[in-house]
Amino acid sequence: MAAPLASGFAGADKPEYADYSRCIHCGLCLNHCPTYRLWHQEADSPRGRIRQMHLVDEGRLELGAGFVTHIDRCLDCRACETACPSGVEYGKLVELARTQIEQRYKRPLASRAARDFVYRRLLPYPKRIAAAARILWVYQRSGLAALARSSGALRLLGLQQRERLMPEIDSKFFFSEMGKTYPARGARRARVAFFAGCVAQVTFSDLNRATIRVLQANGCEVVVPANQVCCGALPAHAGVRDVARDLARANLAAVPEKDFDAIITNAAGCGSTLKEYAHLFGGNDASHQPAARFASKIRDVSEFLAELGLTAPLRTLPLRVTYQDSCHLAHGQKIREAPRKLIRAVPGVELVEMPWADQCCGSAGVYNVTETKASLELLGLKMGSVRETKAQAIVTANPGCILQLRAGAEIHGTGHEVLHVVELLDRAISRRD
Amino acid sequence: MPANETRQSTAIDSRLLRDLKKLLGKDGVLHKPEDLLLYEYDGSVEVARPDCVVFPRTAEDVVGIAQLANRHKIPLVGRGAGTGLSGGAIARHGGIITSFARMNRIVEIDADNQRARVQPGVVNADLSTAVEHLGLHYAPDPSSQKACTIGGNVSENSGGPHTLAYGVTTNHVVALEIVLPSGELVHLGSTALDAPGYDLTGLFVGSEGTFGLVTEITVKLTRLPEAIKTLLAIYDSIDDATETVAEITARGITPAACEMLDGWTIRAVEDYVHAGFPLNCSAILLIDVDGLREVAEAEAKDVEDVCRRHRAREVRVARDARERDLLWKGRKNAFGAAGRLAPSYYTQDGVIPRTKLPATLRRISEISKKYGLQIGNVFHAGDGNLHPIILFDERNEKQFRDTIRAADEIIEFCIQVGGSITGEHGVGMEKDRLMPLLFSEADLNLMRRVRDVFNPTGLLNPGKILPDSKGCGEIYVRPQPASAAPPA
Amino acid sequence: MSMTSTEIASRLAEIAGAANVASDPAQTAAYRVDGKTPAAVARPGSSEEVAGIVKFAAAERLAIIPTGARTKLGIGMPPRQYDLALDMTGLDRVVAYDPGDLTLSVEPGITLRKLESVLGEHKQFLPLEVPFMDRATAGGTIASGVDSPLRQLYGTARDYLLGMEFVTGDGVATKSGGRVVKNVTGYDIHKLMAGALGTLGVITKINLRTFPMPRMTRTYVATFRWANGACEFRHAIARSHLRPQSIEIIAARDSSLLRLDDRPEALFDKGRWSVLVSAAGEAGVLDRYRSELETLARGADRNALESFTELSDADQERLTSYIREFPALAPKASQPAAILKISALPKSLVGLAEGIRSMAIKHDVPWAVMMRGVGVTYLALMARDQSAESLRHLKDACSSALRCCVERMWGRGVMLWCPPEFKREMNVWGESSSDFALMQKLKNVFDAHGIFAPGRFVGGL
Repeated sequence: MAAPLASGFAGADKPEYADYSRCIHCGLCLNHCPTYRLWHQEADSPRGRIRQMHLVDEGRLELGAGFVTHIDRCLDCRACETACPSGVEYGKLVELARTQIEQRYKRPLASRAARDFVYRRLLPYPKRIAAAARILWVYQRSGLAALARSSGALRLLGLQQRERLMPEIDSKFFFSEMGKTYPARGARRARVAFFAGCVAQVTFSDLNRATIRVLQANGCEVVVPANQVCCGALPAHAGVRDVARDLARANLAAVPEKDFDAIITNAAGCGSTLKEYAHLFGGNDASHQPAARFASKIRDVSEFLAELGLTAPLRTLPLRVTYQDSCHLAHGQKIREAPRKLIRAVPGVELVEMPWADQCCGSAGVYNVTETKASLELLGLKMGSVRETKAQAIVTANPGCILQLRAGAEIHGTGHEVLHVVELLDRAISRRD
Repeated sequence: MPANETRQSTAIDSRLLRDLKKLLGKDGVLHKPEDLLLYEYDGSVEVARPDCVVFPRTAEDVVGIAQLANRHKIPLVGRGAGTGLSGGAIARHGGIITSFARMNRIVEIDADNQRARVQPGVVNADLSTAVEHLGLHYAPDPSSQKACTIGGNVSENSGGPHTLAYGVTTNHVVALEIVLPSGELVHLGSTALDAPGYDLTGLFVGSEGTFGLVTEITVKLTRLPEAIKTLLAIYDSIDDATETVAEITARGITPAACEMLDGWTIRAVEDYVHAGFPLNCSAILLIDVDGLREVAEAEAKDVEDVCRRHRAREVRVARDARERDLLWKGRKNAFGAAGRLAPSYYTQDGVIPRTKLPATLRRISEISKKYGLQIGNVFHAGDGNLHPIILFDERNEKQFRDTIRAADEIIEFCIQVGGSITGEHGVGMEKDRLMPLLFSEADLNLMRRVRDVFNPTGLLNPGKILPDSKGCGEIYVRPQPASAAPPA
Repeated sequence: MSMTSTEIASRLAEIAGAANVASDPAQTAAYRVDGKTPAAVARPGSSEEVAGIVKFAAAERLAIIPTGARTKLGIGMPPRQYDLALDMTGLDRVVAYDPGDLTLSVEPGITLRKLESVLGEHKQFLPLEVPFMDRATAGGTIASGVDSPLRQLYGTARDYLLGMEFVTGDGVATKSGGRVVKNVTGYDIHKLMAGALGTLGVITKINLRTFPMPRMTRTYVATFRWANGACEFRHAIARSHLRPQSIEIIAARDSSLLRLDDRPEALFDKGRWSVLVSAAGEAGVLDRYRSELETLARGADRNALESFTELSDADQERLTSYIREFPALAPKASQPAAILKISALPKSLVGLAEGIRSMAIKHDVPWAVMMRGVGVTYLALMARDQSAESLRHLKDACSSALRCCVERMWGRGVMLWCPPEFKREMNVWGESSSDFALMQKLKNVFDAHGIFAPGRFVGGL
């Protein structure tokens, strides 16, 4: 036997033997992995990615371009966790692998600059998000967008499809609602904090408002804690753990969890990270216990409402819908029934399941921007499944998914309306037509 | 690198590589070491690295691949999803792995005649899903059915829990399109039944990839049952549970499935799946009866009666599909759940006459004590197919060796009581050394000559099923699993 | 062959004992195959004796045909050479029977009736309702590949065959499979032996899965005015949740071919298409079958249904045995007759039925047909009388039917039984398929000297 080789990993934030050796390479994850289903290569399957981490750790594989490519291509949708009989925490492993890449691999300059800007200079700062959004808003409303599209400039730059996947910036940001309290309608049944998200504040302010209205209508007093920041999901998924930790600490300080029955989020991606805040800190870290307490209060809005029970009267909405499981709700938080239960609760709404409803639509955080081609292929498959149901609208549970599916409806010309579960409820509750 | 890897081939011939790329396109060929490392394993504990991995999309591609491999005298190995448990899809002596993952089209569904024509890379469960709206399914349901491919099932003659009543793969395959290692494309069997001539389809199914590469499969589709009843019987004694199985069989009830888990496994599963299994029992039986509503109801009553007569503490009947799915989830996740409790586990796949169940389980318990190894029992009790799970820590060399010894002792007992060394996982590169325990040299010789009819050079999936003709009784050193050496 | 029959007999006597060997033409005549009589007959009592005899035959290049009850020797082409009949009825023991495991191991010479009684004691059975039931042996049944109406539910012998022991052409005793119900150890060579007509080896032991005997069985008959109704009824059953034991569609141009003296009249009158469905289970289950089958029959083709009946016990027994023996109508018929077996897909049965009707009318021969629900069809054709002209009509009809199998795409056709003289100009197996080269190579592996029933099987194997 040759002498043991040196591990390609270093430091504390790395995939650990105890975690990855739980994978028994049975392969049950393969057919559930969107990227394996696209390319059918082990390297782009959960089993193959875990094996690569293992090999890097053993020193048999270099932490180089190949490894980075396959780990980058992972959507972190965690469908493999649902399929795994051994309980491998894949999401945790891939985030730690990305942390290693972040620390030990030198990406090309442009990529480094972009990542640095987004994860370190933009997301952590609400004001900068607002500023960036204003610029985009001007682009989108000033006619510049139309000009760029019609002139073919985007196509020349290879940005045409990518541009379609960009969020549309709201005219009225949600930042203005921070620190406010919204009373329960009728008898108060619960007091909750609303976690508003970061990018969502500039792109999904209507959704946020709808969420608050639905909660109020069902007897919840809703507080939007001031000083809350980005949940840290995007940096954590990208392996930028130090930023994620800073953001988590800021949120722990901003939301006194003991004052609330629950902390509500309408973004499945945020919810899954918030629920796993304790993972960010080692057992000995001073923030570990507070993070665990905080996490225990986090509820996805669907989960919370399904558990609480709807009391607001709902009017009939004649609509045939299909539900797209948001990955971080179905796989990350294991919540599948709650949103379906809420959808079925609306009189007149017919829920038709699509095949592979719990396969990723290709949105996956910033995946649609970083891996546009794969993202669009997945979106194409998804829209095919949607079509089979002959539904008029797609309901889902995460802003990222909504953006992606709206782009899908546009690119494929299917004309589907895309709604969040609470938007559907809001519509059924709302007095204004 | 495991020291005992026997392959001599080093780098693959550059001309061969060029020709393969010409045939399949650049993205149809993998040859960089970092990619090949990901094809050195399957679902088993075996390991060996190929020299090249190719991804055909059509039967013509496969013909081309076979011709090239043949011309270059290089081993050729087929692979589906790589979920097999005996190393069937591993390139034991290197060479080209042909991955059928991209040949995954359902070619035709003929509901009227209850047939489907599929490419080999179609995932087992995907076929059943695709025909569900027609009230049909593809009956063989290996536990890996959500990932494993029908091509792989054909090669291994895969079983599954419900094959007790519905039969294994060979009972559901009527015709095959195969490519011989010479590159010749041949059709075996026919879509209609009873093709005149030797039953080559029957011979081919279960040949573990040593006869030919399958490029298309015609299977029977089975009507879904009108009603399914799932019963969970809970016991305080393993003997009571095994005797129940024996009596169910003897009474002439053929359940659709009859699975048993012992107390230790139940606790491991419950902790993880929360299927509602009681923690303080010694064994459970999970039994499906199905068919016409009236039949399922009557059989459920009969089964319940037998369970109670054999001192079942409690018999629960699943009230709806959700409860049933949960119970079955507990069963299907049993191996993974057990795997969580130790760094490694080894699953045996012995078969015994069902009348020998009680004696065999007692023997397994003795073996467990003898080596001080935890052995869990999860198995297809209805057809006597045992899957003892031996837990071990691969970093502990003695324990690793003891595990293999214990596994062998269990198999020896199976043979002693008239059983067999593998019920559904296949011989592969795992049990070829055990073949002489069941078959004489004459038997093995005939098998070798039959293989040579299809695979005269022996270069198609070499080192599988049949022990090296000279090597009987040689001491076998199992390659260490990749995870054997934890990083320093 | 350079040895005389006396020499052969004396050598055989050394192996199997003189009492078990005969070369007297009066005795060997009973082993005739398509007009060829063997020089000697040996009746071995053990697999060692079988191996010894085969070794001897291989050395002397004597051609062997293993036989059981000799009921199906008319199947296949005439042997190119035939020196030695191997009468396997001496190996007729139950080697092992584990009723609790539902597994059985027998020697090939045991009769199905004997097995029936052994298994019956434990309320078990084999779903082998095959022609010549009263005489047939297990080995002959499996080697000849005849099927059973019960295949609708249980499949054919290959589906419940667990393993086998056999002697190959070099006189070596070998085996494959095992005796447990689930097993993937080694190649399933025994599947090759099933239906190989003794051309690969001499079977010396057969391991089978047995089945619990159903408590009650009922047969229902729906009679239709034309074929379409009958076939639609078959399809409706296939689409339902019912799991009958057997579905048989029967029609006859000339009811004399049906040889039913006191038949339930309406069922088999000229031109009628009857569907016989049998089901097993408790009374409540059978009630369900009765009512649902009747509904399906009415819905199949409203104008075509004439009657729907549940058979009495006596009628059921008579009809069951009739259906069982149908594939052997030809060798049992009083006139020269033939049976063509056609493998087709269920959906094409209607077209096949029409094709058969018009073909038979054109050739002016009495005919009857039985179509199994799984798509396997037996067409019986009979000469009107013993005259040369009638025989010629029969032969023309046979050739035409075989041709239609290919040209009209009826399905794969095999002339299972016909007057031996037809075989001079007719290949009873039809055309060979693309996998024939592999079959030839396999034959060589098992029987390098070509001593097992040479020429009888597909493509002259």
